[in-house]
Amino acid sequence: MPVAASAIYFLNLRGDVLINRLYRDDVGGNMVDAFRMHIMQTKELGTCPVRQIGGCSFFYMRISNVYIVIVVSSNANVACAFKFVVEAVALFKSYFGGAFDEDAIRNNFVLIYELLDEIMDFGYPQNLSPEILKLYITQEGVRSPFSSKQSLDKPVPNATLQVTGAVGWRREGLAYKKNEVFLDIVESVNLLMSSKGSVLRCDVTGKILMKCFLSGMPDLKLGLNDKIGLEKESQLKNRPTKSGKTIELDDVTFHQCVNLTRFNSEKTVSFVPPDGEFELMKYRITEGVNLPFRVLPTIKELGRTRMEVNVKVKSVFGAKMFALGVVIKIPVPKQTAKTSFQVTSGRAKYNASIDCLVWKIRKFPGQTEPTLSAEIELISTIAEKKSWTRPPIQMEFQVPMFTASGLRVRFLKVWEKSGYNTVEWVRYITKAGSYEVRC
Amino acid sequence: MAPPAQSSRYPSPSQPSGKGEVSDLRLQLRQLAGSRAPGVDDSKRELFKKVISYMTIGIDVSSLFGEMVMCSVTPDIVLKKMCYLYVGNYAKVNPDLALLTINFLQRDCKDQDPIIRGLALRSLSSLRVANLVEYLVGPLGSGLKDNNAYVRTVAVMGAVKLYHISASTCIDADFPATLKHLMLNDSDSQVVVNCLFALQEIWNSESSKSEEATREKEGLISKPFIYYLLNRLREFNEWGQCLVLELVAKYVPSDTNENFDIMNLLEDRLQHANGAVVLATIKVFLQLTLSMADVHQEVYERIKAPLLTLVSSGSPEQSYAVLSHLHLLVMRAPYIFASDYKHFYCQYNEPSYVKKLKLEMLTAVANESNTYEIVTELCEYAANVDVPIARESIRAVGKIALQQYDVNAIVDRLLQFLEMEKDYVTAEALVLVKDLLRKYPQWSHDCIAVVGNISSKNVQEPKAKAALIWMLGEYAQDMDDAPYILESLVENWEEDAPEVRLHLLTAIMKCFFRRPPETQKALGIALAAGVADFHQDVHDRALFYYRLLQYDVSSAERVVNPPKQAVSVFADTQSNEIKDRIFDEFNSLSVVYQKPSYMFTDKDHRGPFEFSDEIGNLAVGVESEHEVPATSVDANETSDLLLSTTEKEETRAMVANGSDYTAPLYDSSTRALPSQGQSELAITNLLGTSDPGPQASMAIDDLLMGLDLTAPPAPASAPPSLKLNARAALDAGSFQRKWRELPVAIYQECELSSQGAAALTSAQALLQHMQGNSIQCIASGGQSPNFKFFFFAQKAEEPSVFLVECKINTSTAKAQLNIKAEDQSTSHGFSALFQSALSRFGTS
Repeated sequence: MPVAASAIYFLNLRGDVLINRLYRDDVGGNMVDAFRMHIMQTKELGTCPVRQIGGCSFFYMRISNVYIVIVVSSNANVACAFKFVVEAVALFKSYFGGAFDEDAIRNNFVLIYELLDEIMDFGYPQNLSPEILKLYITQEGVRSPFSSKQSLDKPVPNATLQVTGAVGWRREGLAYKKNEVFLDIVESVNLLMSSKGSVLRCDVTGKILMKCFLSGMPDLKLGLNDKIGLEKESQLKNRPTKSGKTIELDDVTFHQCVNLTRFNSEKTVSFVPPDGEFELMKYRITEGVNLPFRVLPTIKELGRTRMEVNVKVKSVFGAKMFALGVVIKIPVPKQTAKTSFQVTSGRAKYNASIDCLVWKIRKFPGQTEPTLSAEIELISTIAEKKSWTRPPIQMEFQVPMFTASGLRVRFLKVWEKSGYNTVEWVRYITKAGSYEVRC
Repeated sequence: MAPPAQSSRYPSPSQPSGKGEVSDLRLQLRQLAGSRAPGVDDSKRELFKKVISYMTIGIDVSSLFGEMVMCSVTPDIVLKKMCYLYVGNYAKVNPDLALLTINFLQRDCKDQDPIIRGLALRSLSSLRVANLVEYLVGPLGSGLKDNNAYVRTVAVMGAVKLYHISASTCIDADFPATLKHLMLNDSDSQVVVNCLFALQEIWNSESSKSEEATREKEGLISKPFIYYLLNRLREFNEWGQCLVLELVAKYVPSDTNENFDIMNLLEDRLQHANGAVVLATIKVFLQLTLSMADVHQEVYERIKAPLLTLVSSGSPEQSYAVLSHLHLLVMRAPYIFASDYKHFYCQYNEPSYVKKLKLEMLTAVANESNTYEIVTELCEYAANVDVPIARESIRAVGKIALQQYDVNAIVDRLLQFLEMEKDYVTAEALVLVKDLLRKYPQWSHDCIAVVGNISSKNVQEPKAKAALIWMLGEYAQDMDDAPYILESLVENWEEDAPEVRLHLLTAIMKCFFRRPPETQKALGIALAAGVADFHQDVHDRALFYYRLLQYDVSSAERVVNPPKQAVSVFADTQSNEIKDRIFDEFNSLSVVYQKPSYMFTDKDHRGPFEFSDEIGNLAVGVESEHEVPATSVDANETSDLLLSTTEKEETRAMVANGSDYTAPLYDSSTRALPSQGQSELAITNLLGTSDPGPQASMAIDDLLMGLDLTAPPAPASAPPSLKLNARAALDAGSFQRKWRELPVAIYQECELSSQGAAALTSAQALLQHMQGNSIQCIASGGQSPNFKFFFFAQKAEEPSVFLVECKINTSTAKAQLNIKAEDQSTSHGFSALFQSALSRFGTS
């Protein structure tokens, strides 16, 4: 059975209840006390997101400074429950316009109760699509469009039909003066490199985010330079595959608006988009990843109280491009007393609270290799002669107009029966996921 | 308005204490109730918000019920919603006042606005007051026929709510049939999905009572119905799809063509953005191909990519949920995932619950081609700052070593661990080296050289210390200073854990057989200390060794240190049966907890329950049985939650059993307690046949210098009289936990009387008999001739409990007992008591 949640709680970090919604009677009224006592006030917190206390199971998730807890008493579907929480938070965010935190909840708690009533009934998930819910639960909490007094001056065409209707993601009758589509390819690179410089593990998880401001019921078709799509196309058109780089996607998942049957037969991504922002697809690539940065560390421990750290970071993307917000965190031992360093670019700082040298480079051009060399003095300790276990160097960055996978949009076609013109915007960006280099 | 910052633990001046504010609110509400001035709705909203915010933080505002209801007559929909929420929360405590709300709710159910109709209907069905159900039937009936889909979706859920308040009313009104009709005919997908939710719940719990419901329940997985749902699958939203797929997984197609049709139809679901849908699809694929081995394997290959994607996207919690499932699959078919081992490498910042699963998977997929990389990676984690993970990874290295034939390189690494000089690394590595030596004695030379260099002072953990001591005893002839190390260890006898003391006794014995002159002194001290020990097992073992030595040294050697065979495979902790059951419950909590659902069933379902042999029913059955409505919980109840629920269950269990008998306290001290005397007898018999060896020249009495053993010091072993609590209570969860935590105190085989074996035709018969002896059953199962029971009992005066796993074979009339006890000293007494109770089964 998918969820059958007995209750949902929102708690702040101290354990105060912000929202408390009981759906079923099969758990006691003060389950939240059990959660506080057995999870929040113990070391258990953070050790496992699913816990059993008494006869009930607790699923909890921390989102900014709020815990969302689902209580179930049956053998529930875990993946479903967590997905529900994630979707619900996305829904709340779209109502609050951005942040989801304790303050936002306190300021909107009536709205949250309203939404919780709609998105879950008797513990079973209902419709969570913001697009539809916004038709009858409005941010300002004004009267229903159906109430007799207002229905005359502001008619909303058969909203309730769509509340539960089949095309859950788009309503009819949308009109824009300027028809625009924004498409962002956002990739995050995950890297784990050994101290000897060999790649232990590397993959890219990417998503295509879209923002559509289109009138009517448009049909969109997206072409990428992925291998399967291209091969299929050349097969259909009876042409040899064009040369050039093709990308092999390990796995793809799509937003529910994408016609999966058509994707499987023709390998093209075609869809009727929801209005506004949504995530069109997600993919994963493990082969042929272009790493934007190489990190070459040398760390020498000179005796018991001195260390020398040299880190060279090489940008291996095109010289005309540049990375933004590059942060390199170089771990140093806890007993660091004094640091002195030189950098050829950017700024470096010793941050004692995380035991790292933090080197920041705001704008990092391609094909360059700035270095950091640091000398570190340690407090001498008598007791511990064991060597320091080095955590990996971690990196954060964003590289606009670069995809680590090499994925490119070949075309984005919009077709609507009224035949209007659209403006399409395509952007690429690569971010660091967990980019770790052991040293 | 924001709710005031609440804190139960740190009261602040701004914190409303309750009383004053509530009466303030009451006054204000009264003023507004009759007013029709413009803008009155806005002030009402502010007030309502205050009330709701107090309610949220746990201040009792139920006394405002009357005023709230008076204010609820309003066209403002937000006000209505807040009022409904309030009423839903407090109607149960105020059933009389709840009657007041019926009127306006019923009126709203007929409103022209479908949204209002839906809201009112939802609130009406959420009142949960039993004597108001008569007012609910009418609106529900018309709600189900409403021409607006939104109202119908609400009405369908309302019907289940009604069922939980009063099952008979729901059945009498013929709602299940109406729901079924809607499910098969409604054009709206959400209505169909809700009907399915509702009917599953209703028919599951009805099926125990009526055959018709059983038939209807089976109808849900019949071919026409499944096809109907599959054809409409794409209309449903993601949650609906999860539900349908869950149902499809239970469907058994008539032939393989059908199998493939369904899989082809569902293949695109693997690309759905919602991970829950993907997992549900995977379950269908796995279940459909269970009987087709080669296709099943292809399915694994096919689902690998989507699973790995799910793992690497989303929050850590989501990825944990998926990883648990991936973990299950990896454990079932490690070879399929062998080439993907890099996906299981841990990232530095990952939460430890994710790392732990990944480590286990890395261990499982290790084979000849990737062992080197995996072990290298695991060694990196051994230096991890996260100590539990570092330990896990060392254990993982050890496990791989035990799986592989080519252990050469791994042994080197383990030995390197020993030289890392971190206490916990050394400790884990020692345990592993011990296991390794038990499997590969040929490595003893290399290992012993390194182990010999470890100072026993640096080893503190009992397990590691025990391992070190075992090796000292086992390889005493290869380690020059073994006797002296052992001797120094004996000096700190008192400080060590019982586990270590036991090992120390045995190790010194072994050492003694090989190097008598050097060990003699240590043995004397150890035996003296052991015999005087308060720990039952240590005491018994010391006494046993002493008497063995006294009798004959060579026989003692044959008993204590016989030639050993290398262990080829270490026993698996989880039985295949359990693993299969977890697999059948794929995509549920069972997988995350790594135990089948009957092991963590909820509190409402205490007492004996059968292990269902039909797995198909199990998944459905377990769900439904838990929907028993709980007894009402006082809203301002502040006492400890778990405590209070147990008490309630206890009373309920008593009522449910329908017997209010009071069993007399069961006094076991009157029964014969043969265990102690018998065991001594057994040893004498055991050794009685062997000839006194020629080596018996060692003067044993000399050895035990000054130790007065003429009068065996028996006080510790004298069984205290044991009384059991006739009304012992333990819920399944605590039983589980205790069972895991406690060591096995006694393992024994015993015989059943022949009448007893004959009388044991069903598990139920024995349960009643044992209950009469103050021994409760928590779970039972099996079919003739093999039965399995879990019993528990509690001491009359203390909360200390005994747990028993009892396997009975009626054809041989034999029973195997595994007894665990919180209070070890009384475990023998309990064992005797249990056996005597068991032996009387069928005779009375």
